[in-house]
Amino acid sequence: MATYTLNAAHLYGDLMNTYGDIGNILAMGYYAKAVDAEINTELVSLDDLFDPDNYDFVLFGGGQDYEQTIVSKDLQTKKAALTSYIENDGPFLAICGGFQMLGHYYIGAQGEKIPGIGALDHYTLSQDHNRFIGNITIKNAETGQTYYGFENHNGTTFLGKSERPLGTVEQGNGNNGQDKSEGVIYKNTFGSYFHGPILARNEALAKRILKLALQRKYPDADFSALNQLTEDLTKNVTIKP
Amino acid sequence: MSINSLLATWTGKSAYWFLHTFRGGGSSLPGKLALKLDPAILKHLARNYDVIVITGTNGKTLTTALTVKVLQAQYPDILTNPSGSNMKQGIVTTFLTAPRAHQKPLAVLEVDEANVIMVTKYITPKAFVFTNIFRDQMDRYGEIYTTYQKILDGVALAPTATIIANGDLPLFNSKQLPNPILYYGFDYQADGDEHAPANTDGLLCPRCQHILHYRNRTYSNMGKYFCPNCGFERPQLTYKLNALTNMTPTSSDFEINGQAMHLNIGGQYNIYNALAAYAVGRFMDVRPAQIAQALSDNDEQVFGRQEIFHVGDKDVTLILVKNPVGLNQVLQMIGTDTRPFSFAALLNANYADGIDTSWIWDGDFEALPKLHVPAYISGGERYRDITFRLKVAGVPTDDLTIVPDLTNMTAEIQKLPTQQVYVVATYTAMLQLRKQLASQGIIDGGMA
Repeated sequence: MATYTLNAAHLYGDLMNTYGDIGNILAMGYYAKAVDAEINTELVSLDDLFDPDNYDFVLFGGGQDYEQTIVSKDLQTKKAALTSYIENDGPFLAICGGFQMLGHYYIGAQGEKIPGIGALDHYTLSQDHNRFIGNITIKNAETGQTYYGFENHNGTTFLGKSERPLGTVEQGNGNNGQDKSEGVIYKNTFGSYFHGPILARNEALAKRILKLALQRKYPDADFSALNQLTEDLTKNVTIKP
Repeated sequence: MSINSLLATWTGKSAYWFLHTFRGGGSSLPGKLALKLDPAILKHLARNYDVIVITGTNGKTLTTALTVKVLQAQYPDILTNPSGSNMKQGIVTTFLTAPRAHQKPLAVLEVDEANVIMVTKYITPKAFVFTNIFRDQMDRYGEIYTTYQKILDGVALAPTATIIANGDLPLFNSKQLPNPILYYGFDYQADGDEHAPANTDGLLCPRCQHILHYRNRTYSNMGKYFCPNCGFERPQLTYKLNALTNMTPTSSDFEINGQAMHLNIGGQYNIYNALAAYAVGRFMDVRPAQIAQALSDNDEQVFGRQEIFHVGDKDVTLILVKNPVGLNQVLQMIGTDTRPFSFAALLNANYADGIDTSWIWDGDFEALPKLHVPAYISGGERYRDITFRLKVAGVPTDDLTIVPDLTNMTAEIQKLPTQQVYVVATYTAMLQLRKQLASQGIIDGGMA
């Protein structure tokens, strides 16, 4: 038994799981061992209840177009609970489609406007016959950290006034290929188009989110050990045009 | 026959002769030249053939090879395309360079999913074989539904051709098609009720969009699926694997429709390939005993994808991996080895490997530590990613050697504590390793 335990919800993990998104939880679990913490992951899917008080971390990954249209309908039944979790500073990581669906709407493969839950203030349009595909690097303004990933998306997301980006694009396309923003940070919710998965490729970000989750649940404990980076990952990427 | 077709044929054949004679190769250029002169050249070249098109994301090459073997039991003239030449130009080259056939010859073609339509524009095949559709090189084609739609766009031009499909894959039962359809699948276990693991693709019921359950599951999202909500379920199977008697890393024993079979290659996925070949064989009136005989041949040319070579006193099996489903099947197969073995994973992310390495996180590397593997190697251009993946999977750091530079692989392999060594590698990592092995005289220079 570990000293600390986090309960994670893998939102629609059986439908929104297209590009190794589960690796985000696996990587967090790996880093958690350094402070004698463990992560219990629960699948929360179609027709399941999401109780915001039960979870210390939520992962909402990306899916295929078809799966996403199904999820977007079911998601409306969890709208209030998810919004309350986010507003109460619940740590949340939303990737690709999950990121899009936390916003107001996105455009489906047939050009139809599909509502999100509007918990966050962004919206997503689509590109005609184009996808942003390739390696990407961004810089996070607060920490100066550089994050590495792989983007593969048709949607172009535009952040709202209450949101700040996860990073500024240094190489690649980011949210929309126009304003140099990539991803989102709102309270303790992080959104991104990064696959890779993002927490497996970016130890600093993994530990930042892990620490947020641990300190929210165990405010008096000392998790400063997570400030140290231990893996040789950051030089991981050879950017190819 | 038009002047254009004749000219195109002559040009293509000349180019092939030139390349073949002076350069020792030439798989797509002759087709490319011929297509330039006559885009409809296939109509002319394939006019006398009964064509069987084999497509899907995984297992095309071996299914094609096995199907050819099975059909050879009854049909003397069979044309087939070499592995990898499965796009339009390669297929045209295959016909251009075919020996002159008598009677009505057969052509068994491995066809890339997006290139099915390039074939059906000019030829109506006798049959299509759908092996499976898994997430594969998604940076190229997109999603499983998009990939299937690309195949169906091609099939739509040939509504009379029979489809021989993997019945265990829900996707192949998701659309109403005018074609006659025959299904094959696994049917050897008692019924239960299980879910697929969370990171499995394609679990939605195509009829009512609930999550599918399984009475039993083989791997990924394949098996005897059913929808508890609307009753959608696996179709009737015409060709059934009704017993699975033995599996080792290098062989499988099983029964199809009561006929005992022995296959000189391991892995459940290869049994699916054999099932597909059996189905085509029966469809073409080859007798079950003849099929069993054909499949039991230990033909190294056919099973070349699993390559075994010797480094010092080590027996090294080199296996290509390119997506999580394939990787999981390889790990399952390795797990049937009763001897102690070491494990190496080599990851590159060039175009031919798939430039997104995210998929390694959907692979069940967590299975490895449970197999008590005493030593591991991680390497390739993306050695940091694969090293971290193995560590997260529970591989002890002390048991893991990192080999970024594959020219050091032979030296590192010799240091491993077991005689048996499994090396899984993505495509260009495999090429790099083979080049190294060839330069040291461990293997022949050519690509398998």
